Amino acid sequence: MSCDWREQVDLYVDGELEPASQQAFSGHVQGCSDCATAVLEQLELKKAVRLAGKRFTAPPDLYASVRRQIHPEARATRGWSWGLVSAALILFIALGFGWYARSHSENATLAELVDLHVNMLASPNPVDVISSDKHTVKPWYQGKLPFTFNFPNPAANSPLTLIGGKVVYVQHSPGAELVYQVRLHKISVFVFQARDVSGAGSAYGSAFTVNSWQQNGLQYSVVTDASKEDAEQLRALLEEANRQ
Amino acid sequence: MAATVISRGNVNGLDNKDFEKLAVPLLDGLYNFACWLCGDPDEARDLVQETFLKSLKGFGSFKEGTNFRAWLFRILRNTFLTSRTGLERRNTSQEGEDGFADVVATADTPELALVRRADTEMVQAAIAKLAPPFQEVLLLADMEEMKYQEISEALDIPIGTVMSRLARARKQIRDHIVAASSAKKVVGIRS
Repeated sequence: MSCDWREQVDLYVDGELEPASQQAFSGHVQGCSDCATAVLEQLELKKAVRLAGKRFTAPPDLYASVRRQIHPEARATRGWSWGLVSAALILFIALGFGWYARSHSENATLAELVDLHVNMLASPNPVDVISSDKHTVKPWYQGKLPFTFNFPNPAANSPLTLIGGKVVYVQHSPGAELVYQVRLHKISVFVFQARDVSGAGSAYGSAFTVNSWQQNGLQYSVVTDASKEDAEQLRALLEEANRQ
Repeated sequence: MAATVISRGNVNGLDNKDFEKLAVPLLDGLYNFACWLCGDPDEARDLVQETFLKSLKGFGSFKEGTNFRAWLFRILRNTFLTSRTGLERRNTSQEGEDGFADVVATADTPELALVRRADTEMVQAAIAKLAPPFQEVLLLADMEEMKYQEISEALDIPIGTVMSRLARARKQIRDHIVAASSAKKVVGIRS
């Protein structure tokens, strides 16, 4: 390749050019097929490394361990002072905390899923594998996820169409995001291992409908701005397809 | 590892809570990076804990406004380099800086197609095969999405070296994908 701009491809895809140069390069790429190919290849490579590189997630006890390192005094005092507190009070606090932690965790998961759905709606590349054929999309996940699941089987005249899918992360764990189209609305279906992603709740009435459930050790969530009925219909199809 | 009580002078006015706020969100990235460096989760775990211990001790002299993430990754990487595994890896790393011809990415469309089709395991194998100086630059750039300047600070190398190592690392990943895909094809045809 002999294009003079070629040396700037790496800088461009890594976002290292000055804003004016970045814009000029963008303009150049529109008319230079060699540079456009090189940019595309670098972007694909970066994406592949990003996905493959995020291979290990810190275990929860490592979080606890470093927090203990940061606040050793909390650990030192906890031992004797709480021994004086009555069992009833401890139980009360534990129950209250359990309820709070669970509800907080559920809300956080819910918010993450809605964010991923919105991100998908705004993205020029909403999915990494584009196909309306589940026999194309399902095999694409092989080797990318540590679990498998069945795709729904909509009726021939159903307005529900598969658009494609991609791998997403929630609570540092990999999962699938399938994207469906129903009339003018898009629906995201998130599938994670239930042990990795604590149960997201269901929410209606806000801008998005979130319909979540657990089945065969997997956590499913349908997120959409389509109607509640559309979400329920897709849930029923998924439940049916994954019934053992 | 036993918890150690840290006492230090607060020369910058920052306390343990500030440290926690800045450092804990980086734990996952640090652990992932440590696993790639060590190749062993238990060792990675010890490395991360030691990094937290060292950085907490040094946090009193940390200057506000400098890049905390680069600082923390630098401590982790330096700690690794002085560990037994780090020394072994440095001594046995297969390919040095001079081992590669200068690289300019080619733009053949078949390569692009292969990169697109490469599965995660294939790319992970390619990353694992990289010599440590190339692996760490690639992971910081593409996985941690650090800017060249930040990588330069984290690894204590000039920006020019960051750029050349990154280009070479990407070239090797591409080459591995092309070779692995071709091998797969041949096996597929034979079987």
